[in-house]
Amino acid sequence: MTSGFEKVISPHQNFLYVIQSYAFLNPLLEEMAAHLLPWCEFFIGIFLVLGLWLNRSLLGLAFLLVMFLEAVAQAILRHLPIEECGCFGGLMSFPLPSVLVFDTALFILTGLMYYKIEKTQRFSLDQYLFKNEAP
Amino acid sequence: MADKRSQVSAKIKITIIVVVLSVAVVLGVKSLKAFVKGSVQANISARVKGDKKAPVHITEFIDFECPACAEGARHIKKFMTEHPPTVYLELKYFPLSSHRYGLLSAQYAECAGRQGKFWPFHDYLIERQANWKRLAHAAPAFEQIAQDVDMNLEILSQCLKDTSVTESIQKDRQEGDTLGIKSTPTYYINGKMVVGAASLGTELNKYVQEAGH
Repeated sequence: MTSGFEKVISPHQNFLYVIQSYAFLNPLLEEMAAHLLPWCEFFIGIFLVLGLWLNRSLLGLAFLLVMFLEAVAQAILRHLPIEECGCFGGLMSFPLPSVLVFDTALFILTGLMYYKIEKTQRFSLDQYLFKNEAP
Repeated sequence: MADKRSQVSAKIKITIIVVVLSVAVVLGVKSLKAFVKGSVQANISARVKGDKKAPVHITEFIDFECPACAEGARHIKKFMTEHPPTVYLELKYFPLSSHRYGLLSAQYAECAGRQGKFWPFHDYLIERQANWKRLAHAAPAFEQIAQDVDMNLEILSQCLKDTSVTESIQKDRQEGDTLGIKSTPTYYINGKMVVGAASLGTELNKYVQEAGH
């Protein structure tokens, strides 16, 4: 949510530059991703925090993580010159192998949360407001 | 069944409220930032090149240790050579804290500018970037560049101790922060923000096609 929020309030050109560095998409898709992905991150984050549409949000998060993992993995395999140089801005920046490990762990956690959705929903808005709704 | 339908309907209403509130917060923050932001300030220092009446004005925020900045600099140089009267270029410093020599290289470049040698010094910094950025101490490499562009080393030494040099660099950095710059190179091409060498190339090509050059 924080990551998405920071991107949506900043000029989209900053995130476009990050996407271009991965040399993963064609220019049109890069532009679309630069505009849409931050909002997707932001809203998925909000819904996860609130526990609203939790199962769908977890699926959305898993989908985003798969995309990020693909992008990072191919960047590593192709030895793209994406260094942990702060050239991606003043916020946190990690080496690509660390990002791969972190996102993989996050993906596994997301999977576990989805698999154990009843427990995951325990303090969610879904559970509180809509007790009888099946996950 | 009716109960379930009303639950789903209530859930959708809450979702819409959450979405609208979130968008309102984002737009509010963006409006506040735009209000504070202002525009790119004109540069009256030695860090300008080309004819001020040229149709393409480029303001570049640069970190000399950034590889993409080096690529962008080469691209702009080539473009200015191929389309000589079309570009007016201004450079501003945006040293990144994660670059060991970002600030130091900017200090040397600023001092070179005060001796009227900014662009030759800039060109050597870009050309030799791959070498000096790997060094344990880059200052000797910058001193060598200073000699190569025939700077007065005594004046350079005094200049490097002058606090106004760092103030000048920090002023550019703060301007960049206010504009929302996060990465280098960031260009403003006729006021339009463009980040990275790839987008720079696309934007310049667009100009060439539109102008029929």
